[in-house]
Amino acid sequence: METKVKLRITIDKDLADIVPGYLENREKDVILLPQAIRENDFDSLKMIGHRMKGSGAGYGFQQISDIGNRMEQAATIQDLDTIRDCLDQLIDYLRKVEVVYE
Amino acid sequence: MNTTYQTANSSRKGAMAASNHILVIDDDPDICKLIADFFQKNDFQVTISNDSKGLQEILERHKIDLIVLDLLLPDEDGLVVCRNLRSRSNIPVIILSSRGEEMDRIIGLEMGADDYLPKPFHPRELLARIKSVLRRSRSLPEEAGSPDDSNARYRFAGWSLDVPTRQLFAPSGEKIFLSGGEFALLRVLLSHPNKVLTRDQLLTLSHGREIEPYDRTIDMQISRLRKRLRDDPKSPEFIKTVRSLGYVFSIRVERIDSKP
Repeated sequence: METKVKLRITIDKDLADIVPGYLENREKDVILLPQAIRENDFDSLKMIGHRMKGSGAGYGFQQISDIGNRMEQAATIQDLDTIRDCLDQLIDYLRKVEVVYE
Repeated sequence: MNTTYQTANSSRKGAMAASNHILVIDDDPDICKLIADFFQKNDFQVTISNDSKGLQEILERHKIDLIVLDLLLPDEDGLVVCRNLRSRSNIPVIILSSRGEEMDRIIGLEMGADDYLPKPFHPRELLARIKSVLRRSRSLPEEAGSPDDSNARYRFAGWSLDVPTRQLFAPSGEKIFLSGGEFALLRVLLSHPNKVLTRDQLLTLSHGREIEPYDRTIDMQISRLRKRLRDDPKSPEFIKTVRSLGYVFSIRVERIDSKP
């Protein structure tokens, strides 16, 4: 069942110019990830997870860092079930997140 | 490929001349974008490089004040880049890494980095650390009653440290490169010869900040300084450890002041 609950995240207004681009890049990850999963491309999965982990919280999205961390670890041990779960979490998060600049 | 971004206020008269220029070496475009945008707004000039290949060319073309270096680069280990850089330059280096291992932090500092910030990081924290490193790399924080040695040269056992140029010379005349942190620490030790300084005092005087629990910054920098001075850590001649207290520079030091 699709949820309409929004997740409000407050972000430093100095980052207002670049946050939309960052979220667009995560939408691109959502497109790239299923292909990498289908191809068992664990190097790409690990790199995407690693980058999400390293950048998410810097932009104000701690949960993206957390998902990326879990994805990177799962890719290291080639655990596709967890990677698919991370993808679902990312899709759900991007659907719910609502940014407020202060 | 590398890209240089001007400060947000670069049209303001004199802004460019006054701004600091940082080089960011990181292969993640989102991290580069975050740093470039945030630092331009804070009057920094930023050059981005996605790998270490063009490093030498960038350093020849630009006057870089500080380097922000990722450890995981596509072409080379960031620790190797840091070590090579330190062997020929004293530009301050801050390491960024999401590897997050304690050992990475320690090795990074031992390779000559001036500070280490784990990813993810808030850009404001990176800004604060960059300002702190730049401050201590240029001069020591003023301390009430401390003599101004900004135009002095210190001599000890054939060695000399020239404060204005931040250059250390061995008795043979060989120039020894020091990181910003190492220079600041040696300067503090030389300006307080034969006086025991606690780790807290050394950190405050050389880095402008207070010690944190389990902070090994000073111990690691002392270890590196001893190597630079070819001082035997088991039986040091210059920097002696005072158990449970701190360190003392135990050689006679001569200070020569020249007119500015």
